[in-house]
Amino acid sequence: MAGIRVENIVKLFGRVKALNGVSLEVRDQEFVVLLGPSGCGKTTLLRIIAGLEHAESGRVFIGDRDVTALPPRSRKIAMVFQNYAVFPHLTVFENIAFGLRMQKALPERLRAQVERAATLMHIENLLERYPAQLSGGQRQRVAVARALAVEPEVLLMDEPLSNLDALLRLEMRAELKRLLAESRTTTLYVTHDQVEAMSLADRIAVMNAGRVVQYDEPMKVYQEPADTFVGGFIGSPPMNFLRLPVEGSQARIQSLTLELPSSPPGKDVLLGVRPEDLEAHLEPQPQSFPARVLVVEPLGSHLLLTLAYEQQQLKVTVPPDFAAKSGQTLWLRPQPGRLRWLDPASGQSLTHARQA
Amino acid sequence: MSTRTIYLALAVLLALWVVVPIFLIATLAFSDRASVFAWPKGILPQHFSLETISFFFGVAGVGKAIGNSLIVAGLTLLFAVLLGAPAGYALARYRFAGADAYRILILLTRAFPLAILAIPLAVRFINLGLYDTPLGVALVHTALALPFAVLVTSSLFLGIPRELEEAAWTLGCNRIQAFLKVVLPLALPGLAATAIFAFVISWNEVFAATLLTLRERTLPAFLLTALNDSPLPFRFAGGFFLIVPALVFIFVIRRYLFTLWGIANR
Repeated sequence: MAGIRVENIVKLFGRVKALNGVSLEVRDQEFVVLLGPSGCGKTTLLRIIAGLEHAESGRVFIGDRDVTALPPRSRKIAMVFQNYAVFPHLTVFENIAFGLRMQKALPERLRAQVERAATLMHIENLLERYPAQLSGGQRQRVAVARALAVEPEVLLMDEPLSNLDALLRLEMRAELKRLLAESRTTTLYVTHDQVEAMSLADRIAVMNAGRVVQYDEPMKVYQEPADTFVGGFIGSPPMNFLRLPVEGSQARIQSLTLELPSSPPGKDVLLGVRPEDLEAHLEPQPQSFPARVLVVEPLGSHLLLTLAYEQQQLKVTVPPDFAAKSGQTLWLRPQPGRLRWLDPASGQSLTHARQA
Repeated sequence: MSTRTIYLALAVLLALWVVVPIFLIATLAFSDRASVFAWPKGILPQHFSLETISFFFGVAGVGKAIGNSLIVAGLTLLFAVLLGAPAGYALARYRFAGADAYRILILLTRAFPLAILAIPLAVRFINLGLYDTPLGVALVHTALALPFAVLVTSSLFLGIPRELEEAAWTLGCNRIQAFLKVVLPLALPGLAATAIFAFVISWNEVFAATLLTLRERTLPAFLLTALNDSPLPFRFAGGFFLIVPALVFIFVIRRYLFTLWGIANR
């Protein structure tokens, strides 16, 4: 068991800066998810920690050991690949035993470890099969069992669920969470799926364009995004951003004025508000502003409304029995304490200082 | 007539063009002397007999030539795989400056007519003491087989996901162990096909073998010089022995040859 620490990692692919001075610390036994759109550098960072890529500069620590110069085999890590990378010429048993055989484990220990890992992943009855005889979900289980069998200090997972179909992904997600909570292995997990990140992580590191833009607990990342990118990337539908004029230390939406935490640098300010944090009413209400309904989408558990306030669009979710028709004007009341204020020029939150 | 029937007719014609001589050679190699000289010949073998074959093996020099051919082809196989597979692996796994140019350059070696190279080679080989040795012929044959060995093995290694190797590294292998434990077992059938193809190229090659040997003839070189002043049964039996290994091997490895051609066309 050990934590991971990376310091100022810079990685170039040709002239493209894939990682722009990334620092990150994962505590012992913590489950951290690297979340970001494709091309943000999250997989590259994971591969640098695994030793499969070499950074131009920066250092990687696992536990107290500086592993920057070590090859993957000496880092005491295990990795689960997106395409599983299960060895097709070996049986499931030999796949799981592969790392232990490399460690020259004694036969009794090897058998015990393989059986323990296989039982954890519910594949103990498949040990004699070859990977070609397995389904995608079963191969996924073999890959995880193979990684766990070596009892790594750190487990690295690169989009392990993205090749599974939706239902299986949901099932494996819950199972992974149970498993890793049990084994308490320090885990760094890469995904572009924000739901997966929210559901699994102790902390989420949101990455964009080669940087970590926010690193916090899932609910914090969701409720208090550091900038417009995080607010827009996390949450479905994403956070609404309304551009409002500033009057002194207040922002104005028609008759409604809202107190700002600090005075913004410009004449305008962005209000970030989640679709569920706007309370819709049919009649005028105090502390609310009017908006015209453009689209009503029934989504089963709730209705998703698209509305227009002046020239700006916003999304609001309301209970399924809410009587909304397009063309109608609704009164929206922002939930105090759930509002986020951002600088329209930089996209940065006014209260949240950007991490280096 | 539809284009389909024209294609079909052409295909049949082409197939007959190739198959009929092979068929005649094969049947006559296993007939007795009388039917070899008979005219007109029957379509089917008339009298099965090993007389022609045993006569062929009785001729002085045939045994030695077959032995030489085996040695030369065996050496060619060895060199082509040992030199070609690492080059193929490098082309498949590493991005290096000039990789594409290198790939084309490899094919260009086949563009040099052997006739131009033969005389300087013969002179050089005499200086080096390689002239009239199986090793000398094998070196030239390796040069001929190597481009294919490199391209086939490179497509072979490309077909083995890089992640398998990376997984092996994270599980405690160094690069060589990962290659031996993961890549090699998966590449083995393709490597065998590459080896066999090199063997066949060498077995069938006649020009270089003729120019670079005097006494240590390989079978094709021996037959080429012996054929014109030999009786008919000898020619049929000799022809049969030239064709058969190539046919058998190419039939066995045809699946891999298709990938080779797919790569060579790029």
